[in-house]
Amino acid sequence: MRLRRVAITGVGLVTPVGNDVATSWAALQAGRSGGAPIEQFDASGFSTRIAAEVKGFDVDAAIDDRKLRKFLSRPHGFAVAAADEALRDAGIAPTPATATRWGIAVGTGMMGVPYADLAEVHDHSAPAGELEVAKLVDDPSANDPMVFCRSQSSAGLSALARRYGIRGYASSVHTACASGGQAVGTAMKLIRRGNADCVLTGGFDSMVNPVGLAGFCLLSAVSPDNDTPTRASRPFDITRNGFLLGEGAGFLVLEEWQAAKRRGAHIYAELAGDGNSLSSYRITDSPPDGDGPIQAMRQSLANAGMTIDDIDYINAHGTSTPMNDRSESAAILRVFGERCADIGVSSTKSSMGHLIAAAGAVESVVCALAIRDGTMPVNANLTEVDPDCAHLNLVRDTPRHGRIRAALSNSFGFGGSNSCVVFRHPGETEALIAAGG
Amino acid sequence: MARAIITGTGAISSAGQTPTEILDTILAGKSVLAPIATFDASALPASLAGEAGGSDLRKLLPDRKLMKFIRRTDVFGIHAAASAIEASDVHAWRESLDAEDAVRVSDRFGCIVGSGGGTFDSQYDYFPLMTVARDDLHAFGEELSANVSPMWLLRSLPNNVLCHVGITHNLKGTNACITHHSISGTLALCETLEALRADEADRIVAVGHDAPIEPQNLLYYYRAGLVSPDGLRPFDASRNGTIFGEGAAAMVVETEAAAAARGAPRRGEILGSGSASEALGILAIGADGDGLARAITLALDDAGVAAQDIGMIVGHANGTSSSDASEARAIARVFGAAMPPVTGFKWAFGHLLAASGALEAVIALEALHRGVVPGIATLASLDPDCAGLRVSRDTRATRSDTALVLSRGFGSTNTALVIRV
Repeated sequence: MRLRRVAITGVGLVTPVGNDVATSWAALQAGRSGGAPIEQFDASGFSTRIAAEVKGFDVDAAIDDRKLRKFLSRPHGFAVAAADEALRDAGIAPTPATATRWGIAVGTGMMGVPYADLAEVHDHSAPAGELEVAKLVDDPSANDPMVFCRSQSSAGLSALARRYGIRGYASSVHTACASGGQAVGTAMKLIRRGNADCVLTGGFDSMVNPVGLAGFCLLSAVSPDNDTPTRASRPFDITRNGFLLGEGAGFLVLEEWQAAKRRGAHIYAELAGDGNSLSSYRITDSPPDGDGPIQAMRQSLANAGMTIDDIDYINAHGTSTPMNDRSESAAILRVFGERCADIGVSSTKSSMGHLIAAAGAVESVVCALAIRDGTMPVNANLTEVDPDCAHLNLVRDTPRHGRIRAALSNSFGFGGSNSCVVFRHPGETEALIAAGG
Repeated sequence: MARAIITGTGAISSAGQTPTEILDTILAGKSVLAPIATFDASALPASLAGEAGGSDLRKLLPDRKLMKFIRRTDVFGIHAAASAIEASDVHAWRESLDAEDAVRVSDRFGCIVGSGGGTFDSQYDYFPLMTVARDDLHAFGEELSANVSPMWLLRSLPNNVLCHVGITHNLKGTNACITHHSISGTLALCETLEALRADEADRIVAVGHDAPIEPQNLLYYYRAGLVSPDGLRPFDASRNGTIFGEGAAAMVVETEAAAAARGAPRRGEILGSGSASEALGILAIGADGDGLARAITLALDDAGVAAQDIGMIVGHANGTSSSDASEARAIARVFGAAMPPVTGFKWAFGHLLAASGALEAVIALEALHRGVVPGIATLASLDPDCAGLRVSRDTRATRSDTALVLSRGFGSTNTALVIRV
C-alpha cells in the first residue's frame, strides 16, 4: 500500500526575531540575533541575564477573542498568533463539513504555571517556604478556574481546537527540546494513515520566566555571556558555552497531497518522513560518538524513501552547548560521510536562540521556507569553527542560494529523545509521482 | 500490516501492585479509596483518594538512587514498565544474542509514554527561595543556587519516565511522550499500535503514569465540580464527581513476527483504536457524547470488528455528572441493541488521569483472560440519564474475547481502544 503524501500548505511564526513569518525569515537570512538583556522580569541577580525574547508582541491585538485570552498564558498567545497565520497562509480552515477530518498535534512546553500565579500561591499559602494546605483552601489563586485552566498541559491544544473547530484526532506531546519535531512527525502520520486529511501542527513555549531561567542556570546550560547577548548563541564555534534561551511558536498546516493539489494550494514542501530514537545515555546529553541521533537521522531518510544523496540542507539542532554540537557533528559525519562536503548545515538557533518545545516546529517552518526560496539561512556568530565540527559545510556569513531538493531538521531533547524530520521540494515530489512513485 | 501482540503487562495502583492483584481487588467489590495519608488533607473540602506505592517509594525502583532525579509520578511509571518488561521475558532473550544482534534489537525497541505533564508540586520547590527573596527577583536570582537543587529542571521533566525506562532497559528505538490529560495513556497504546503497523519498531513498551493527588490540583477539580467529597459512583443517580488515584500501567507490545521470532508469551493483542474531539474548550463536554461515539466507531472500523463482536466495554466511568451521562449516550448510539456488558474500574482505584486508560486496558485484558466483566460495586441506582446502559453491581461473563476501553480527557477529547486476548 502506497502511503498518502503530505503537503505543507501554510506556515506561521512568532519568534524572537520577528512576530510573523516574513520578518522572522528575513532576520534568519541576515543572521540577526534576537538575544538581548531580559526585559520581562528583573533578571539582574541571575548568572545568565540574557535571552531571546519575543519583542513587542501584543496579545490583545493578536487574539481578538477576549474570553479565550483569559484561558491563555504567554506561550499560548504565541501559539494562537502563529496558528492563525498558518491557517490564513494556507487559505483553508475546518468547516462543519470537514471538522472531523481535521486533526491537531502540538508540542507543549513543560512550564504549566506562570510565575505570577506561582508567586500568588507562595505569598498566600506558603509564606514560610512550605505549602500550608489549610491556607490554600481560601487562596484566591488556588480557587481561580482561569489559573487552573492556564496551568494545564492540554490548555494550548484545547484553545486551538476550539478556536478553529477541529474535531478529529488531537494530541499534545512533550519530549523537552524534541517536542516540536515529534509533534510535526505525529501530524504527518495522521494524514499518512488516514486519521485525518488536514492537520494543524506546531509547538509553543516560553521558559523566559524566573523559574524557567533558574532551571537552566542551575544546570549551567545557558550561555553566561551577559555583555554580548547577540553573540551568545554560536553553534559549532570553538568558544561556544551554552544556549541562548528563546521563546515563541511555529505552526504548519498539513494536507493530503492530492487534495492540496486539487484545490490549487501553494505547496511549500512535502513533509516526507521522520525518524525517532532514544539516546538512552544521560538525561542531558547524547554520547560524543552521536549514538542515538545517528539512528534517528537514518530512520528519517528511510522513512522518506531517500538516501544521503538526496539531502542538500540540514537545519541542525545546534544548541551551542559544548556537548550537543560535538555529538551532533559526529552523528552527521557518521550518517553522511563524504556527502558532508556537499550538504549545507546551519543552526538557526544562532539567531533565534533555543525555543525548547517550540524549536522543532519553528525549524520545520524554516526548512519549508528554505526549500521554497532555495535559500539556506546562516549559522550566525561563527568565528572559529570547532575542529570537532570542521567536517560540516556550515553556512557562514551570508545565506547560500540554490535549489534545495530535500532538507532535514534535527531536534534532540533532554531525556534523550531524538527527532529528525525530512522535507522534499514539491518539484521532486511531483517528479516522483509522475514516475509512478 | 503488522499485528500488535501484547507479551507482558505491569501495573501499580492503590488496588495492588500487579494486574492480578488489582483485578482481584475489583472482583472482591472493594473500593480502596480512603482519606489521603501522604499529606494532611483535613482542611480540603474533598480528601479521599487512592494512594499507591506504600511508605517507601524507592523500593519500587530498579535503582534507589534514581529517586533524586525523578518525581512521585515517575516512580510509578518506571516500576510498571520494569514489571511489563520482566513479564515479557524479552531481556533474557536479548542477552542470549551476540553483541551485534543485541544492538539491533535495542535500536528497534521503542518506548511510548502517556504522562500527566507538569505538576504543581514540583514548582513548590521554589517556595523556600521565594520566601528568602521576599518578592525581590534580584535576590531570587542571587540566592538561587543556595536554595534550589541543581537537578530541579531534570527532576521536573514530563518525559522523565521515557528517559529513565530507556536508560534502564537500553531502549533506543522510536518514542513519544504524550501529555494530554486523561487520554494520554490510551493514546500511548494507540500510537504503539500505529508505530508497529508502520514498521517503526519491532517492539515497544507503552506506559501510562500519573500522580495527581496534590492539594492545589484537588482544590481546582473540586471547585470545578469534578471531584466528589464522598465517593465515586459511576452512572449512579447520586454521583457527584470523581476521586483521584495514582499509579501506572505498562504493556510490552510486539509485531507478530518479532514476538514469534523469540517465542514470546502471548497475553493479547491490540486490534484497533480511534480518537476524536469536540472542539468545545478545555472543560466542556458535549451532552450527546458525539466525540466519544465517533471515536468508538473509528476504533471498531480500525480493528475490523462489528459492535456485536465486542464482549465487554470498559467505560471511562469517572463519576462526574456530564461525562457519565454523555458516555452512556455515546455507547447507546453506537451499540444500540448490540450493547455488551458495560463496566468501569475507577470506582475501585480512582481516576489516574494520564495513567487511567493504560491501567484500564491492562486490567481489561486480565478480566478477558478470566472471562469476567467485573461489577461496579458502588452502583446503587442507575441514573435515568444513563438508562439502557448495561451496567451491573455484580460480576458477569464476557460476551467474547474482545474488549473496548474508553478514555476521555480535557479539551473534549476521546479515545477508544479495542483489545483481544
